[in-house]
Amino acid sequence: MRFLSSFVTPLLLAAGAAQAASSWGFDDAKLTVTGKKPGGSKEKDVREFDGKSPFLSEPVKFDTTDTFKLKLKTQENGKGKRAHQAFLVFREPTSGLEAPFPLTVKDSGKATVEIKQSDLPIQLAVSNTPLKASLVIASFGSSQGFQKEIFDVQVIRDPISAPATYEKPLRYGKLQEIHHIFRADPKSPPKIVSLVFVLAILATIPSLFISWVVLGGNISHLPKALSAAPVAHGVFFGSLIAMEAAFYAYYASWNLFQLLPVAGIIGTTTFLSGTKALGEVQSRRLAGER
Amino acid sequence: MKSLISFVVLFWASLVCAISSSGDRLLVVLEDIAEKEGYSKFLGDLEGRGFQINYETPKSDSLRLFNLGEKSYDHVLFLPTKSKGLGPHLTPKILLDFINAEGNILLALSASQPAPTSLVSLLLELDIHLPPDRQGLVVDHFNYDVLSAPEKHDVLLLLPPGPLRPDVRDFFSPSAGDGSVIAFPSGTGQTLGSGPLLTPILRAPSTSYSYNPKEQAETVDDLFASGDQLSLVSTMQARNSARFTVVGSAELLSDKWFDAKVKKVGETKEVATANRKFAKLVSGWTFQEIGVLKVNSVTHHLNEAGQSNASNPKIYRIKNDVTYSISISEYVWDKYVPFVVPESDALQLEFSMLSPFHRLNLVPTSDDEKNGKVYSISFKLPDQHGIFNFKVNYKRPFLTNVEEKATVSVRHFAHDEWPRSYVISGAWPWLTGIAATVTGFLGFSAIWLYSKPATRSKESKKTQ
Repeated sequence: MRFLSSFVTPLLLAAGAAQAASSWGFDDAKLTVTGKKPGGSKEKDVREFDGKSPFLSEPVKFDTTDTFKLKLKTQENGKGKRAHQAFLVFREPTSGLEAPFPLTVKDSGKATVEIKQSDLPIQLAVSNTPLKASLVIASFGSSQGFQKEIFDVQVIRDPISAPATYEKPLRYGKLQEIHHIFRADPKSPPKIVSLVFVLAILATIPSLFISWVVLGGNISHLPKALSAAPVAHGVFFGSLIAMEAAFYAYYASWNLFQLLPVAGIIGTTTFLSGTKALGEVQSRRLAGER
Repeated sequence: MKSLISFVVLFWASLVCAISSSGDRLLVVLEDIAEKEGYSKFLGDLEGRGFQINYETPKSDSLRLFNLGEKSYDHVLFLPTKSKGLGPHLTPKILLDFINAEGNILLALSASQPAPTSLVSLLLELDIHLPPDRQGLVVDHFNYDVLSAPEKHDVLLLLPPGPLRPDVRDFFSPSAGDGSVIAFPSGTGQTLGSGPLLTPILRAPSTSYSYNPKEQAETVDDLFASGDQLSLVSTMQARNSARFTVVGSAELLSDKWFDAKVKKVGETKEVATANRKFAKLVSGWTFQEIGVLKVNSVTHHLNEAGQSNASNPKIYRIKNDVTYSISISEYVWDKYVPFVVPESDALQLEFSMLSPFHRLNLVPTSDDEKNGKVYSISFKLPDQHGIFNFKVNYKRPFLTNVEEKATVSVRHFAHDEWPRSYVISGAWPWLTGIAATVTGFLGFSAIWLYSKPATRSKESKKTQ
């Protein structure tokens, strides 16, 4: 009895330690990527690895026509046992989206999974960065589960076929600011150009009067006309000037309803005074003085 | 005397406590009225916040959600029931009518009972999917509670969810920092469709998954969902801002888990669950006590010197400077406070005819006397005439939808509002031309009327 008890306790301790440290793992893992290329099948990419890290260092290439097969044996404490959860999880690093692929596990712990690129969700299939593949092996009970990243997967899309696009779903949020772009204000040519033409036109006024004078224009009969019909001539010529002044007022501030009565009055004045004034001019013409 | 004092205290306590902004009539539907003892703390908290609670079973005859066309209750809480159906008064159509009438629903599921078919149809209508056979249990072999579920791993311990996105305020994290966790015992996970109305509050950790304990006890052959795609507490806010929340585990709300001590696998310390605070936040959001916005006023006016700045004129002119202001308050438990837009988010004004001509971020200014924050912006109207709308369309996860539209006409320049020709430098030659013509005409008239023929110094006629 004493002999027994001396090594029973260390045995129990050892058993307890083993129990506390029981955990899930895997072994005998074999990854096969088979595919077809036009013109015969291409080589199989076969990798074998075991349950101890480092796992696979090189990224696995996964083309559109490839079939991705993973075989392994789930183990609890080194003995093959069926794990309830045996997932191969692909994670897209930029968005953090994960796609799990459950392995079919037999009682002995042998597990397999077969994936085609069409099984991948669209967000992972269009990713350009390599996906991170991890294995999650765990089950009920007190054994610690296994969750580690195993390898990288580079998804290669067929460049010939139409590119798959992923449309992001509508999510409410702030939208881009829009500022209306106004049409440009109408622009005038440079002021100097306008001034040049203004000066050119202004120059025509004195040149007109000078040429009239050179050709013999004069207003010598003005006193004679005024003495013959002072009121008529004054009003007539005055009304011509008043009409121009009315048009200037219309340009500056009046509206049409202010202009029209004034223009009417001035026009009537021109007509009435004009008969007399032009009659006087006619008399001068008949007298041979014109 | 004692009862009088306690009555007075309770009276004042109920006055200052929270109350929903959209009514206080709450209906609780459960299998057996006696079950409410198991949720006494949660229901007591609700009563303390001012809700009038009625308890009904699905089979009862007096259960009516509508009376003469109006809702008889403002909110409904469904606890798990054993029966396969919910009776003739809680058909999916009646529940949808209830949501369309701005009623809020909080639905608690359980993994031990399959959900009633009418609720499953309602959830499908809203694009929330339950596991096949309406039964599923969420387990996580890496985040479970060793004290209560060391073998079955069906009590998940979750960290507070945090903000959904950087521009959405965090409504649902119980105060962090004390290491408390949210316990999710024996619940059903859901998957959500991809519409903008659905938002998850609490997602499952990446190592968890859902399985059917009856059929998939040995191996998971057909996985419903796992990880982030599994939503444990999901919400749908309808376009009329009625709220529908699905809590995957009704036991999360039960007394047992409100102040339980749990220990996560791999940790050494026991912590208390934060379920009570989390339940208060989830029920507060669902029953319109938080996250509710109200628009107090909308004004726009002309902002130009020398012109009248009357409020809300019906007509503007193109290229006018106008100022637009909107005052928004937020309801927080029992009172309205000025609403502050989160940092990286913006309240935007669209000035649009068929499509927006301007979309501008509104700038917060002062608080007005109705406890609303006034957001305003000044801008120049586009140079297109027509009928325009000032549109504020603020829809965000977990906040009431705000849609305010004011229609105005924008007319073109009147004939006397154009710049005069004397300020247009290109017109100066034309104006001088007119002046030259006038001068020439008057000069010519004078010469014609009053001239004396010039003496012919040379005879140009040919003599015979």
